[in-house]
Parts: sequence; structure tokens; C-alpha cells
Amino acid sequence: MPSQISDAALDFLLARAGLSLTEAQKADLKSVYPGLADMAERVRQPRGRMAELAHVYEFAEEDL
Amino acid sequence: MPGAVMSGEIPTIADAARLIATKEISPVELTRACLDRVHALDNRLHAFILLTEERALTEAHAAEAAIMAKRPIGPLHGIPIGLKDIVDTKGIRTTCQSRILAENVPQTDAACAEKLAAAGTILMGKTTTHEFADGGPSFDVPWPPARNPWNPDHFTAGSSSGTGAGIAAGLILGGIGTDTGGSIRGPAALCGIAGIKPTYGLVSRAGVAPAAFSLDHIGPMAWTAEDCALMLQPLAGHDPRDPASAKRPIPDYTALLGKGVGGLKIGVIHHFHEVDYSVSPATRRGIDVAIATFRDLGAEIREVRLSPLQDWGACGSLISIVERAAAYEEWARTRLGDFSERVQRRLMMGALVSGVDYVQAVRRRRELRAELHAAMADLDVVLTAAQPAEAAKIDAVPVWDTFAAPSFTMPFNVAGYPAISVCSGFGEGGLPVAIQLVGKPFQEPTVFRIADAFEKATEFRRRRPALALR
Repeated sequence: MPSQISDAALDFLLARAGLSLTEAQKADLKSVYPGLADMAERVRQPRGRMAELAHVYEFAEEDL
Repeated sequence: MPGAVMSGEIPTIADAARLIATKEISPVELTRACLDRVHALDNRLHAFILLTEERALTEAHAAEAAIMAKRPIGPLHGIPIGLKDIVDTKGIRTTCQSRILAENVPQTDAACAEKLAAAGTILMGKTTTHEFADGGPSFDVPWPPARNPWNPDHFTAGSSSGTGAGIAAGLILGGIGTDTGGSIRGPAALCGIAGIKPTYGLVSRAGVAPAAFSLDHIGPMAWTAEDCALMLQPLAGHDPRDPASAKRPIPDYTALLGKGVGGLKIGVIHHFHEVDYSVSPATRRGIDVAIATFRDLGAEIREVRLSPLQDWGACGSLISIVERAAAYEEWARTRLGDFSERVQRRLMMGALVSGVDYVQAVRRRRELRAELHAAMADLDVVLTAAQPAEAAKIDAVPVWDTFAAPSFTMPFNVAGYPAISVCSGFGEGGLPVAIQLVGKPFQEPTVFRIADAFEKATEFRRRRPALALR
């Protein structure tokens, strides 16, 4: 995740999410993108492809 | 004590239960004392979004009659409480503090509301929250944010803001909060009360508006850890309506109270408050007091190292942002402007986090939980700050607070471990600070044991907000 986002990329992501924002809201959101990019970087660790999610599940008796 | 209750002293739930059981006070007297404080104070505190006075008095009279005829059905019989306004209440408006649900009247009770009613509590009303348990304080929703009873110019933290303020001021003796990243423990800390986020799955989420499904917890808030234990008793238990609900035997949550802490092992995560984020002097002092107190009481203190606070925060925040955006996607697309500006900001962020970012966060969550599990293998609890400092002024809370400071509470939503906030002192301005004690999954009795020992070994439970005692 790059630490900055272009106006075009922001418009694309907002359109995909179905959100209609004012120019002021877009600028506001763009200002925190570096913070989100930092978070996205922090959750990436050298873990390899076999590392599981926390949300994997097993079938319980009542699911059968 | 009975005369003191009537003249203004605010009892704990445990005290009130003893007085009710011995018929020294009645639920009607207790409820009227709380209502008197509501009428005197809530125009300044805004702890209630909806006061259900008539219902409260009807329930109090019914409790009084039942107790006079037999005996209390349990320690919560006749105890005035509040429910956060994201908790569904049958026939009672439940707005989530949002104009989107301003006229919403649920047809059924949430599981937690139902269980507390069955335990004989008196519902005083719905307590103020941040809109959809997110992003407060907001001044652009139809109802004002709650104010801190220790100084109404200051924030309560949130989102269980009204429950926290109401308990500190004695408007209610206990209440329900919900906690996705700290929304029970934050207001408990800044309002100087106790609040526990139980183990994930211990208390049913059924009928409570979601904030982020895999991080959401429901739990009790009260003046003391002992009171939280009394409240958790009827709340805990399996509920098939909640897919995350745990199937576990329910212990007696008061069983270990009074056993002391001799021989217990308490880990302190020093780097959280010293290196990762430097807390206020009063918060630091509270942690040091807790360490010294536990050591004096015979506990063994050890050092614990975990990943930096910021890593836990990143993991929890990304999950929270995406799960919230998914839950509220339809309204975000069609009614974004009807949310407060703060919640609009939270929902907008969902567009900027990719599916892969979310999955990486969920993979990181598994690693972080394993890390905490290993670190606590030979410990009973870990200790850290509950909040980094005393309450800020209510008009000085950053609009993008997600990025303002790392959360000391979020790590334990990520892990799902039980965590309680208890008062550990006061800053120079008289505002409270708090420690957080974190137990192993489903070990709430041990958490209550240690928190209760701390409260009883210190003086902090003897001090109430000055405005509540006038």
C-alpha cells in the first residue's frame, strides 16, 4: 500500500464503495490515508503462505 | 447506611443488595434516590437519552412487593440500572443515538436486557452512547453527548458514555456497556468506575447493534469490580442467537473475592506505557501504585513483552473499519449525510482498506493472540494502563481519533481476553485515571479477585464526583 493516494485512485475506490463525498470530505479522507497505509504495513509480517486467519472455523455438532 | 442512602450517599450494588435483603431499604426508596439525582444532575450530564421513570417506579413497586412477600431473587433484585441505547428494548425507543433510528422501537429485548430484567433489576432508562457505538463525542446528532461527572467540561470517553457518567454520579448503580476497541473500559477509566469487557462469546450480542462483529463485546459497568461480578453472573451464558456465543460452564463470579492475591503472578507490560506511548504522570503513578500494592499483598510481579501497542492497534483498527463499513454499507451508500460527521468519517475509511488488507489483519490477529497466550502461560493476569491520560476537554477530542494515540484497550479486543478497568487515582485536575487488568479466556473470577483486592487495599473507591454529593 503506497503511503499516498492520487485523486483518481481515491475517486475509483469511493465509486466502487458506492460513496458520494463532497470535495471537502475527499480532502479530509485523503489526509488520513498515510495513517491507514501505516496500519496496512504493520499487519504484514514475513509469515509465508501457510499462515492461517484468526477466523477459520470448525463444524460444531449442531451444524451437522 | 439506610439513612445515608436517603441523604445522598451512593451505595454499591453489593451494599444495596444487603440492605434490600435485610429490608433496611426498599427498591422504591433506592429508585427514588436515583431519580432525585437524575432530576438534579442530568440536565448537565446527559447520561440518559431516554429516562423511563414511570416504568422504573412500577418495577420498583413490584420488586418491593415481591421482596416483602418472600425474599430477593438475587443480589440484583431492586437495583436501578441503565442500558446503553444500542441495546434493543421491547417497546422502548432504541435510537443508537442516530437520526437514522430516531423512531425505532424494537419488538423484542436484547439478550442482555432480558437477562438483567429476569434478575430483578429496575430499568431507569436508555443511556447515551456515541452514534452506533462509534466516533463521539458528536454535537450534530439530535441528542447531546454525555459529560464527565468529575468535570462536565470534560469528555467521558465512549462509546458507553452515558452508562459511565450515570454510574459515577449515582444516577444508576450499574449498567450495560459494549466494547469494540475499549468502549466499556474507556468510559469506566475516565469516569472513575469499574467496567469489564468479558471474554469474547461469554455474553450474548443478540439484539445489540453491531459495531464490528468479531471485536464486539457486551459487559457490565458499575462502581466496583465486585459489583461487576454480581452483574456478570446473570449475563453470562450460551445463547444460540449469537453465533459467537461460547458453550462453557458458568462459574460463580464472586467465588474468589476476598481471597487476596498472595502467590498470584501479575505481568506488567511496561513498554506499552513507557516506550510505545508515554502516558500522563498520573496514569504512570496509578500503575506504580498498583504494582506496589500487589507486591505488598504478596503477588509476584513480572515483566511482560508483547508486540508494540501500535501493531495491536493497526490490527484491531483495520478489522473494525472494514466490519463496520460492511454492517452499515447500505445506509452509508444511501443516507451518509444522516450520520454524524464523525461516523461519516469512520464509514468513509472503509473504502480505503482492501480485502487483502483485511485478511492480513485477520492473519496478524491469530499471531498476536498466540503471542499473548504464550506470554501469559505462567501468569494470572497482565497489567497495563486503561487510558493514556485523564479525560480531555470535550471540545478537544480529535475528529480522527483513530490516529491520535494508540489504544491501550484494543489489544484485548483483538485477543478476545477478559479485561477490566479500575480506578487507580486522580490527576491534578481531580479527574480519574485507571489501570487495566487482563485475564486468560474465561478466567473472569481471577480478574475480579485481583481487581477487588486492589480496590479494597486503596482509597480510590471512597471518592465520588463532588457534584453527585451536593
